Amino acid sequence: MRAEVVVVGGGITGVSAAYFLAREGARSIIVYEKNYIGSGSTFKCAGGIRASFTSQEHIVLMKRSIELWGELARELGVKYLRSGYLWLASRERDLERLKSYSAIHNSFGVPTRVVGPDFLSKVAPYVDSSRLAGALFDPLAGKACPFDATQKLYSASRRMGVDYRFEEVTGLLAEGGSVRGVRTRTGDVHAEHVVVAAGVWSKPLLEKAGVDLPLAPEPHHAVITEEFGRLFDPLIIDVETGAYAVQTFEGHVLMGVEVPEEPLWEPTPRLDFLEKVVRVWSRWLPWLPRANLIRYWVGHYEVTPDHHPVLGPVSGVEGLYVATGFSGHGFMMGPVVGEELASWVLKGHSKTQEARNLTVDRFREGRLIKELAVIG
Amino acid sequence: MAGLKAMLCMCEGVTLEDVDRAIEEGFADVESIKRRLRIGMGTCQGRYCVPILIAYLSRKLGVPPEKLAPPLVRPPLEMAPAYIFTGGEHEG
Repeated sequence: MRAEVVVVGGGITGVSAAYFLAREGARSIIVYEKNYIGSGSTFKCAGGIRASFTSQEHIVLMKRSIELWGELARELGVKYLRSGYLWLASRERDLERLKSYSAIHNSFGVPTRVVGPDFLSKVAPYVDSSRLAGALFDPLAGKACPFDATQKLYSASRRMGVDYRFEEVTGLLAEGGSVRGVRTRTGDVHAEHVVVAAGVWSKPLLEKAGVDLPLAPEPHHAVITEEFGRLFDPLIIDVETGAYAVQTFEGHVLMGVEVPEEPLWEPTPRLDFLEKVVRVWSRWLPWLPRANLIRYWVGHYEVTPDHHPVLGPVSGVEGLYVATGFSGHGFMMGPVVGEELASWVLKGHSKTQEARNLTVDRFREGRLIKELAVIG
Repeated sequence: MAGLKAMLCMCEGVTLEDVDRAIEEGFADVESIKRRLRIGMGTCQGRYCVPILIAYLSRKLGVPPEKLAPPLVRPPLEMAPAYIFTGGEHEG
């Protein structure tokens, strides 16, 4: 069995890579997924999409990703809305911090601005503004449905001839400084290029090939309420705690907040998460205590020391590429990462300097990147 | 007979024809079809529809039902008002 490109991982990164590779003319692409499409971290995420970061790498890549999200909505009918992000501050010092972020955003052309209660009542009629010191609104940000987006990219790439196989890749084949393919329980598959997009599980797979990724599996918790009519359009963030809440396309309210966690491969539900998330959001959503919670789950952020992804070729193993370490931003970056990977594999270079800054070499060379705005 | 539909999931209004279409799109496992069509994500949380989905998929795909694992059950088992998790009483 032989392919031009093998992609390991059928989450947003893998299906997006397959989609852009097929669109750019890769001849034969096989995607391996050990469970079902989206089953790793993608389907556990909130679906928020923003460029309002504080590093040039995140901002430039996310601005392009947002353009591509718009294209995917038009071309594949992906459920995507540019409904904004709204960062809520109840204390003056938090508002000052938001203003300093906004200055960085604006200098990179991301039009965030400070808004007050009048604006809140228009875009978020069921958020209580009585405690509001001020809010930062990002009109470029938005949300997509993780199920819909990932499954539509899967179906579209399948229609373009991408071969999806639902089995586990147990090892990488490498020889003389070049990748040769992947190993599965049903046999070896040879490939000129191998893209590892297996989220947090990329680390053990790459370890077997002698590649060390500084990646930690950090548990993150989320809970969802029953369905409601329109409550608030933007994804909202409580700046004090970093908690987020988003109303899904069906009307459920999906909420998360950070609770102290150590890296853990098999995370479990925690009652203290539910206690904290309900307590934090009840301050802004006074109706929440009486809303029903219907589902609670735990997923992973695959966290790097500088909270930026690891992208592109792995030096020392020709033909091997990686895309992981998104530190909570993998879904939103999916389209731009797919596009960058297609360029790397088919043309031998990334599209942007910002993507090139994110190769795994930066950890060895001590070129870490600084990001201030990590949430949930 | 025109206009008659076989409903598989009452909460989310999913028909057998929707399931057939999802299979054509390349979804052939319970977890994927659940998320493609929202079967089992309504208020019954899959108690009624998931066994029917498994029986239908089993016949349609020629796979024994025990090979079609039901989706992972997420807590809480029954939907519950948020205030009970804060440990306090709530008026209302």
